[in-house]
Amino acid sequence: MLDAVTARLDRARTVMRRATLVPLLIRIGIALFLVLAMSVAWPVELVAGRYGVPLLLLALYPAIAPRGRGATAVVLVVVAGWVADTTWNDARVALWRVLSIATLLYLAHTLVALAAQVPYDAVVNLDVVTGWLTQAGAVVLISAVLTVIALGLAGELAGGAFVIATLVGLAAAVAATLLLARLLRR
Amino acid sequence: MTDTPPLRAAIPPADQPVGEGWAGPAWVPTRALGRTVLLTGLLLVLGVALGRVDLVLLAAPFAVGAALGLRRMPRSAPEVMIDADDEHVVEGGQAHAGLTVLNPDLIPYDLVVVRIRSSPWLRLENADRPFAITVAEDGWAQIDLPGEALRWGRHEVGPAAARVAACQGLLACRPVVTAARGVRVYPVTDPFAAVEAMPAAAGLVGNHRSRRPGEGGELAGVRPFAPGDRLRRIDWRVSLRTRDLHVAATLSDRDAEVLLLLDVLGEAGVSGGVAGSASVLDTTVRASAAIAEHYLKRGDRVSLLEYGASGRRLRPATGRRQYLTVLEWLLDVRAHSADESPYEHAFGPHHVSPDALVVVLTPLVDPRSADMLARLTQSGRFVVAVDTLPAGLQPPRRSPWTPLATRLWRIERDNVLGRLREHGVPVVAWAGAGSLDQVLRDVARMASAPRGR
Repeated sequence: MLDAVTARLDRARTVMRRATLVPLLIRIGIALFLVLAMSVAWPVELVAGRYGVPLLLLALYPAIAPRGRGATAVVLVVVAGWVADTTWNDARVALWRVLSIATLLYLAHTLVALAAQVPYDAVVNLDVVTGWLTQAGAVVLISAVLTVIALGLAGELAGGAFVIATLVGLAAAVAATLLLARLLRR
Repeated sequence: MTDTPPLRAAIPPADQPVGEGWAGPAWVPTRALGRTVLLTGLLLVLGVALGRVDLVLLAAPFAVGAALGLRRMPRSAPEVMIDADDEHVVEGGQAHAGLTVLNPDLIPYDLVVVRIRSSPWLRLENADRPFAITVAEDGWAQIDLPGEALRWGRHEVGPAAARVAACQGLLACRPVVTAARGVRVYPVTDPFAAVEAMPAAAGLVGNHRSRRPGEGGELAGVRPFAPGDRLRRIDWRVSLRTRDLHVAATLSDRDAEVLLLLDVLGEAGVSGGVAGSASVLDTTVRASAAIAEHYLKRGDRVSLLEYGASGRRLRPATGRRQYLTVLEWLLDVRAHSADESPYEHAFGPHHVSPDALVVVLTPLVDPRSADMLARLTQSGRFVVAVDTLPAGLQPPRRSPWTPLATRLWRIERDNVLGRLREHGVPVVAWAGAGSLDQVLRDVARMASAPRGR
């Protein structure tokens, strides 16, 4: 037992000694985006209250272990908070909140994908990070335009949100199926 | 008429090029792709079920990211190559290695993580860390690893492994491993010089004056003309003065063979590289290189022999080519554990030329080494022993008795050295230039005495 603790401490010390700046910044970015997404998605009174600390600690976990399933779980918790806030608290579906949560979740997701591949002690060429963030920026931009258009349309066609959601959802489901089929064909 | 049995073609048919059916690299989906598919599917289902556009929009970046990332997929494997110095690297000098990652694919690699292993005796910059780089489509990227060679020997740079992530980290390639490259690091030679005295010589030409009269350059004296003398040898001045023909007698020039006998029965001490402490093998190799360089420059023939389980031997030869061969031969010197098969049956004085000067580089730790020295001397060989045991060597302290045992062992070793000296084996500690002058003079003096056997 004591040996295990000592070994773990030694490993942590080695990690601290060998860690390099860029992987550290990537992990800080993950933590920051997830904490922000969590605070935006969950009701303010809950985040500011006594449940805030566990939620924020949970948001930090993928930054520490990006290779595990923690990131998926945290994203699901954020979505759960958003659904809870808008369903039970009857919060308004504000454009800025949808945009922020979508952007922050995607940025955290793509940075987790990067951090899972880059070891903590790697010598990272800056091209890697800038290229990665540029592609992520393009994705975020396209999604933001889609979000603005879709929410605008939903506002215009008051009451027709259900129909739009069904249509967009079906289109997206077809696209996802095609994607999966293409992957399976490989 | 019998049917001819169907024969299988010895070579594959030409219409099936090799590699066409190869599955290529195993590009596997990463956890990020799994997360993308799960979240997109879940959010879409929730959006449709609850009639919420916002949930569908939350899935939009994931779907767009996957669509953009996977619009073109990688097909082929990356290639990793290790470049290492082929030049002559001397320990303490600059060594240079490099890694090249090739991308034969039509899409860029967003991230390539390359790891490399290298010998601890090559201090390459950042070689203990992984490198993360990008490689453009149909391009290559190079990582330079400048460094320093710390110790002689054959060292390895590699193997190296590369893991590639493409499509925004949604697909990853299984690691591609490339084999190690060897780097030869030659030993530094301590400056060494020895007096001219060479106990015996074997050939008829060379740089050492022999003790025998004959054709040569060194004047031995003037003597009356005798039948068989060459006319150009006549010393006309003396002949005119004495009114009788006299010739100038010369000593014949001889070359000598130097045999360097390397005791590799054991290793002692800790090698700290070129700037640190020297182990027994370090001293042995560096001293051998220095002695060989000295005698080869003088035109002597130098041969090398390992006293150990393998018994490697380098034939005697002379010149610069032999010096390079000696250096190459020295790179493979390894200590053989003492419990291996005894070498006495394979090695004996009969392996040593009777006229050769035998320089034995030995730590005198194994009793077999002292026996071998005594036997060589008894058989009339000219032997000089160079003590290669590092000064102040202390064994690891295992018990309170260790210092006392070490002292006893040292006293016993001094006793062995004394007995060897009594038998006529000069033992001298290696100290670079001039180490062997005194003992070589002694050996030459002994060699000039009539030989008993």
